[in-house]
Amino acid sequence: MARMAMLIDLTRCIGCDACTVACKQENGTPVDVFFARVFNIEVGAFPNVKRVYLPVLCYHCDDAPCLKSCPNKAIVRRKDGIVLIDQDRCRGTGACVSACPYGNIVLHDVDKWYLNDDEPYESRFVKPRLKPQVARKCTYCAHRVDEGLDPACVVACPTTARIFGDLDDPGSPISTYIVQECERGREPFHLLEEAGTKPAGLYVGTMSEQESFSSQHQREQGGERVDATAV
Amino acid sequence: MTVVIARPCRLSENSHETKHMATRHAVPGRDKKPPAPGEAKVVRTTDSPNCTGACGWLATVVDDVIVDLKPAADYPCEEYNPRGCLRGMSMTHMIYGPDRIKTPLIREGERGEGKWREATWDEALDFIAGKMRRIIDDYGPESLLLFNQVVGTSYVQKGAQVRMAALLGMSFATAYDFNGDISMGFTHTIGIDCVECETKSWGYAKYAILWSSNVFQTRIPDAKFLTKHAKQENDATIVCIDPRCSQTAKGSDLWLPIEPGTDCALALSMCQVLLREKLVDWKFVETFTDFGTLIREDNGMRLRASDLGIGGEDEFMAWDETSDSVIVLPKDTLRLPEGVRLSIRNSRTVEIDGKPVAVTPVFRLIEDVVMSAEYDPDRVEKITHIPAETIRQVARDYATKRPSSIIIGMGINHRLHGDLTIRSILLLSALAGAHGKPGESVSIYSGQHHFRLDVSPWWFPGGKRPNAVPMHYFVLGKPTETINPKIKFPKNGFKGLFVSHGNPLVTEFSEPIKRAIDNLDLFVTIDFSMSPTCEYSDVVLPAPTFWEKVDLVGTSCHPYLQMQQEVLTPRYDSRTEMWIVRELVRRVEPSLLNYFDVSEYDAIEMLLEGGGKEVAGITLDQLLEGPVRLKVPDPEVGCDEQFADLHPFPPRAYPFPEGVQREFLKTGRMEFYKEEEVFRKIGEQVPIYKPAFEHLPESDQKLPLSIVTPHSKWRVHSTHSNNPVLLNLNRRPEVEINPRDAAARGIRDGDPVEIFNDNGSYRLWALVTETIKPGVLCVDHGWWDRYLGGGKYHSVHTHQKIKPTHENYYLPAVYAPGQHWKDTRVDIRKVTK
Repeated sequence: MARMAMLIDLTRCIGCDACTVACKQENGTPVDVFFARVFNIEVGAFPNVKRVYLPVLCYHCDDAPCLKSCPNKAIVRRKDGIVLIDQDRCRGTGACVSACPYGNIVLHDVDKWYLNDDEPYESRFVKPRLKPQVARKCTYCAHRVDEGLDPACVVACPTTARIFGDLDDPGSPISTYIVQECERGREPFHLLEEAGTKPAGLYVGTMSEQESFSSQHQREQGGERVDATAV
Repeated sequence: MTVVIARPCRLSENSHETKHMATRHAVPGRDKKPPAPGEAKVVRTTDSPNCTGACGWLATVVDDVIVDLKPAADYPCEEYNPRGCLRGMSMTHMIYGPDRIKTPLIREGERGEGKWREATWDEALDFIAGKMRRIIDDYGPESLLLFNQVVGTSYVQKGAQVRMAALLGMSFATAYDFNGDISMGFTHTIGIDCVECETKSWGYAKYAILWSSNVFQTRIPDAKFLTKHAKQENDATIVCIDPRCSQTAKGSDLWLPIEPGTDCALALSMCQVLLREKLVDWKFVETFTDFGTLIREDNGMRLRASDLGIGGEDEFMAWDETSDSVIVLPKDTLRLPEGVRLSIRNSRTVEIDGKPVAVTPVFRLIEDVVMSAEYDPDRVEKITHIPAETIRQVARDYATKRPSSIIIGMGINHRLHGDLTIRSILLLSALAGAHGKPGESVSIYSGQHHFRLDVSPWWFPGGKRPNAVPMHYFVLGKPTETINPKIKFPKNGFKGLFVSHGNPLVTEFSEPIKRAIDNLDLFVTIDFSMSPTCEYSDVVLPAPTFWEKVDLVGTSCHPYLQMQQEVLTPRYDSRTEMWIVRELVRRVEPSLLNYFDVSEYDAIEMLLEGGGKEVAGITLDQLLEGPVRLKVPDPEVGCDEQFADLHPFPPRAYPFPEGVQREFLKTGRMEFYKEEEVFRKIGEQVPIYKPAFEHLPESDQKLPLSIVTPHSKWRVHSTHSNNPVLLNLNRRPEVEINPRDAAARGIRDGDPVEIFNDNGSYRLWALVTETIKPGVLCVDHGWWDRYLGGGKYHSVHTHQKIKPTHENYYLPAVYAPGQHWKDTRVDIRKVTK
């Protein structure tokens, strides 16, 4: 058995959106469709404020609610754990979109494109690859995985914040990374664990660590430093 | 970690299921069937936009269309893999984007009216050459000006344009100083305008100060050396000094929201802490700085051996405590004679021409300034808004948590007194002795000006150089009273301008440039995308993108020399710069044609052969195999020859000969005292803090808000402004404003707003955010006007002022005037109709 998964190290992530665009480049997604996204969040009030980046994508859950919700049985789970939407079976009901607690499935009535109609880049090499009016989501670049390659967002991440591999294989990059980080006191975690979907996708590290001081801040706090640790 | 991980292939197990993918067909080929052998080719190339990052890519090409782009990740030094970012990755949408220029265009209506005639190359070139010939005959070739961006990213193609300018005797405006990237604080101190360590060196730091630098956004491929190597593996502390909680602040341990324009006071206050707490590296300052040189009280000049009749004017005196006498400092090395201990505090009297003259060591003069009450942290807290205790702690940590590093951003340099700020930061680093080791340096990454090899053999045939003129004087329309006499302003003024791959009409300075262009007989742009600058031209020539031509690329970020390949045939009717130049020369001065009877590969071989010691032994064949590391130390730490070999400053500034910079760094040491009269006149012999806005007109000074204009994640300056993919992620121009400032003006998040002052105004949308300091607005720079809600982009920033201390010497892009856009004051209001 295999259990393919992606771990994102939030300490390494710089919120650069290279993953967002690499995914687009690889999968040729239309306007407003992003399988990999990065949330740019601000927390707190000036000057005790932090910038936080949270990269999100499909977590390929063990107990995938999208799969259970589909009236057309269009969503399948491969033997390696990757959850896919069958473009031929999907009828665009949108049940999976509602079922995903993470909001990681996209369904648009009409696809809009970036380039002029006569550009072969899109007309010949991108548009024919997608079926319109079906639900779409991240596939962990299953076509690349099948060739022994990492997903596009992983190879494009300039800070190597994304680590991909087989959780069932103790020698895989993701497994060794998890062991290494646990030894350093950094436990990987799932996002929104309480949703109970048993996601494969993991995170490690705090989203933001910076402290901020200005004299104004210090006055307001009576000269005391405020502990501004993990959000 | 490698990027392509080999693991047991599960093809047999899962391949039947890949049809379920969101996209039906795998790249490369992007077809139902895999491409036939030979149908899909994979090309390794290097991009060369003006971020100057020089990232390697693997492009998969089918039928002359790029169907896939991935980072090449083939740098022999594994830490550099992968390089690339969202901008490089989405370049496909610029190559295939709707704004590509397809044919040469000749203006039909008025400038900027938008009426064009599509022309053949022959028509366009004949038209331009005719005008060039007339201007050369009537006014002289120096009335033709070339302004190309960014020459250091393109040694061959943009170099060919410089070659033409040199041979025809045209004027050439270096973009680097006009862009405001020139860091005169560096030039004043070490004789070269910027110095960098290779980014790998960041990873060694235990303490890193990012001083208005937003590397997570501007140096995306290099950010890992801070997050992964320095922070995660080396447990480094990262401090971010910035009025806004930038993308980089996310990865810092400490964010210091500083009042804009007060960084110099902060640096000098930190210097005071080092002196007060005895954290000075005396060995370092004695060896590498001018602290021991003696200043004459009678004329403010340094005491020279010639004053005492014991040597030359280029030999400087210090006081040796061991022998209790004056000594001549060696001029060819930084190594002091055995047993010498320089006196750095006490004034003495020497006899010059029979008269007693008091002389004082530089350190004493600096100490008097730095230790003054003005730079007491308690006082500096009031102007910088950074608590005194924090100032003390950061100074202490910088000096003691070693190796420690400072990365400077352009936000502090784009100010009239940015030179003083940078001189003060360099003073801080010298006091701490934080130079010369991996993880220790003050780096600025301001640009690509420092060629990694001597480009002279290709650019300056037979040593002939174009007439270098800073772009400022073109914009001003006339020389200043204080212009350096070395600068030859054309006797008949400027009559023709060529802008290549530049977009000066989308800068903080666009309106004055437009007015200067209005006086020209000829304005030609060469570009791949129909930019606002193209729209104002007489003739537009379509160039290929850097995916469609051959070049040689280097960068200051990493020491690899790389080939740029013709991944695609130049699209539409675009032609390379080499070709355009050759065809112009054929028409204007056919006798010079033999200089252009070469291929790109010939030019590369010329560059490698005569390029100097950094490229000695590197061959074209090696470069065609992949990136080749220059012959430089590993890791490069910045000023390696000075700090490791005690070779006098300054490091050589290619493409100028060794030694020419010594004119403005006469001691060969880090100079914290400038003796020239021009500094004394304005009281800037030693670094001091001068308030940022006092040189503005009174009406401007009264305005309540500062404005900062950082680089955007979504653009490289104004390139990618029109990239459809990046516009999908970043839909409209916004101004960041603190809720307090917004509430006071009735502005809510998303409201249309107008930024204004006496210079102008423009409209965009409000982003009300806690991540910016009250009293400061932030608009990322480079938006084309067509995306604004109205008005002229950054028309509020149109002051122009040249500091005389930037004109007393001249070396193109090394000692030349900078910019001070960020000194602007503005207000903002809600747009109601």
